[in-house]
Amino acid sequence: MLKTIKRYWGVYTRFLSTCFAAASTYRLHFLLLIIMDQLFYFSMLGSVDFLYNHVSKIGPWNRNEFMFFIAFILAVDHLHMSFVSESFWEFAFDIRTGRLDFVLLRPLNTIFSVFARQIRPATLINFVTPWGFLIYYGRQMQLDLVSWVSLFPMVLFSLVLLTSIEILVSMLMFWTVEAMGINFLRIQVQSLSRWPEFIYRGFANKLFTVGFPILLVGSAPVYFLLDHGRWLWVLAAVGALVVTWGLIGVFWQKGLKAYESASS
Amino acid sequence: MSVAEIGKWAATIKISWNKLLSYKLNLLLLVIGPSVVFFFVKYSLWTAIFQLEGIEQLQGYNLPDMLKYQGWTLIVALLGQGYNSMNLAEDIRLGRISAFLVYPFGFWSFQTASFIAFECLQLFTAGITLGALFTLQIVTDLSLVALVAGLLFSILVSFFWYQTSYLIGLMAFWLEETWVLRVMFLTISQFFSGAVMPLEVYPEYLQKLLMWTPFPYLTYAPVKIFMGEYRGDIWQGAGILSFWLGVAVLLSLAVWRRGLRLYTAAGM
Amino acid sequence: MIQCRGLGKDFKHYQKAGGFAGSLRQLVRRDYQLRSAVTNFDLEIERGEMVGLLGPNGAGKTTLMKMFSGIIVPSRGECSVHGHIPFQREQVFRKKIALVMGQKSQLWWDIPAMDSFLLLQKYYEIDDRDFKKRLAELSALLGVERQMQVHVRKLSLGERMKMELMACLLHRPEVLFLDEPTIGLDIVAQRSIRDFIAQYQVQHKTTVILTSHYMADVEALCQRIVLVLGGEKRFDGPIGEFSSILGLEKFVTIAFGEAITSDADTYFQDFDPHWNEARTRVDLRISEADVRRRGMEIFERFPVIEFSMEKLPIERVMNELLVNPHLLKRAVT
Repeated sequence: MLKTIKRYWGVYTRFLSTCFAAASTYRLHFLLLIIMDQLFYFSMLGSVDFLYNHVSKIGPWNRNEFMFFIAFILAVDHLHMSFVSESFWEFAFDIRTGRLDFVLLRPLNTIFSVFARQIRPATLINFVTPWGFLIYYGRQMQLDLVSWVSLFPMVLFSLVLLTSIEILVSMLMFWTVEAMGINFLRIQVQSLSRWPEFIYRGFANKLFTVGFPILLVGSAPVYFLLDHGRWLWVLAAVGALVVTWGLIGVFWQKGLKAYESASS
Repeated sequence: MSVAEIGKWAATIKISWNKLLSYKLNLLLLVIGPSVVFFFVKYSLWTAIFQLEGIEQLQGYNLPDMLKYQGWTLIVALLGQGYNSMNLAEDIRLGRISAFLVYPFGFWSFQTASFIAFECLQLFTAGITLGALFTLQIVTDLSLVALVAGLLFSILVSFFWYQTSYLIGLMAFWLEETWVLRVMFLTISQFFSGAVMPLEVYPEYLQKLLMWTPFPYLTYAPVKIFMGEYRGDIWQGAGILSFWLGVAVLLSLAVWRRGLRLYTAAGM
Repeated sequence: MIQCRGLGKDFKHYQKAGGFAGSLRQLVRRDYQLRSAVTNFDLEIERGEMVGLLGPNGAGKTTLMKMFSGIIVPSRGECSVHGHIPFQREQVFRKKIALVMGQKSQLWWDIPAMDSFLLLQKYYEIDDRDFKKRLAELSALLGVERQMQVHVRKLSLGERMKMELMACLLHRPEVLFLDEPTIGLDIVAQRSIRDFIAQYQVQHKTTVILTSHYMADVEALCQRIVLVLGGEKRFDGPIGEFSSILGLEKFVTIAFGEAITSDADTYFQDFDPHWNEARTRVDLRISEADVRRRGMEIFERFPVIEFSMEKLPIERVMNELLVNPHLLKRAVT
């Protein structure tokens, strides 16, 4: 077990070094990525801020609580953009061009080889904004020790749940010709998760918390952080994670069987 | 334009049309899907703001007004913004421009003809969506004058988006990946064009400043025109947007000339 | 060893209906045809053999290779490679094989080749000592020591292919699949890669399956040929036997001092003549038994200035078989 972890960690460090090497050759792109992310963070935070100039509450949340939620989502998004996002685009490209053949040949867990492969060094630098706001609003709300201690683990857990659901959605690429479209679908799924669960009502709410639990990504951890009595939400999210991986196991095998490998 | 030239445009439009229709799932996921999901999120958000909080009105909008605004935003997005997702930059990066430099039909002409085919399809899509929104009573009180004015303005908006996407795509002469620029432009314009919330929600000073940029005319103005509520001068709005369109066209020409000089046929 | 029995693979080919009405109909239902890329294929390759898979484009050669390497799952039949079932994709199996595709690159484009090798070292768990040794050996043999730190996208096609070969040999695979490794390369690069493969295979006794459209590759490297036409195996045997499918014939080239008029066509027509533009040079196929007699006849009747003969090149055999596949009925399978 330890040997396996050591081995995968060794491979991952090489992923990091190759990505840093590639990133250093495209300096303008490096800079633009940083600016792009900052624009995104400020537009999300700014939108909610402007809204609260006119209302005192949205649902059960006041300004600080909602801004805390947004900052949490942005922290998850930051990690996602840095460690995971690029791999999904690469996966689509590899399926379309048949380069996935080479990935399939390598003697390493293929899901790891695909989804952990690409890291964006530029985006790593952006952690200041989301984490800065997260800590600021955490303090505004005077979070207790339990919340502060579980803040980073919760962000990580959110990231894992989000990525897992996205991996499941990406399995569709095995069956469609146009993998790019599935990536856009994945992004739409992401955009749904960026707003709290309570704004969705009726059937939509049930669908996206139980059927396709994308709303648990942001809402479950934040509900817990703001009110420890709501720990059932986190439990539900853990359950969703387990089910998602069960489904990934099934569909990954099916997908590989259906893979036709774009002809040369 | 000579008859032969018109023939080339017509043929390109036809081919692009067929190409678009043969990748239907793609079209749905890349173009229609994002706009519809965005609408759904905003619909949920605004319903929650009004109903859960129990407020009656916000900056002059009650809930039905706000939802009507969002409904028209969807229509304008379908008419105006769809072409963003088409990746022009790939052609440049992969060295496919070589063919266009040899063809007797320019690169811009080809791209624009493809865009026209796309826009025709989008008119169709927007029409169906409008029908759906009307049936669901999200959008009410359709007036022919407002529809025509809004449609024409939206087409102007679509040309602006097209030309800007084209300009950004040309950056592929220098940048390995231009999607970052595109996303940046999209983020800024979504924030400043009134796509998430009407501009009345923004601070006064910001509203005044934005009037000189193209952004309010990309979403806010056409939406208000469709609603029959645009308080400014439509011709002035169209004029300002046309000015920015002109800027985009001139920049494209300049960038194309410079880029071509640097261009090396990369790839296979 | 590599073994397969009754192997088959079908692909769905979706029809794209033309016109507006067709496109609308397709929204609801997509018509498809099931086409067999590989049908009822039996094959046995011993450890250490180098076999050439020949056939026209679309014959199914690459599909076979991909099934042997576990990339795609067969529709029917059984297959085993060195004791493993390929599509189960065990990690142990993946460490034993390597695939080079002339038309696709496995190296990462935006980093130096060396960085790709370092990453592959981790994938294949090659220890540092072996890695350094093999790297030095292979780069010296291929003459690419100075290109290792160059970004892959800046390398020439020939250099890139050499790096691809290096990348797939670092882990000393037992089985090597080469899918058109010399495609698009200049003659010098082709030769150097060919020589390298021959030398490497002899040294390490690797089992090699090679597909190529360049007959020079196959003739130089393979002792055994398997011909694939329409997804089926139509010939399997030593390369010498392949040349003689068309009977024991000699390939004769004759140059004449003056242009030969078309009156002579009745004489040459039985020998599958290929004339040059000026009608001063002709290639013929003459059966071995007759070549002496015919040669003397031609010398007497025509102003011959050059006469050469050699074994029928595989290229000509292939061309002939593609046009007249019934000739294969005589072939050994």
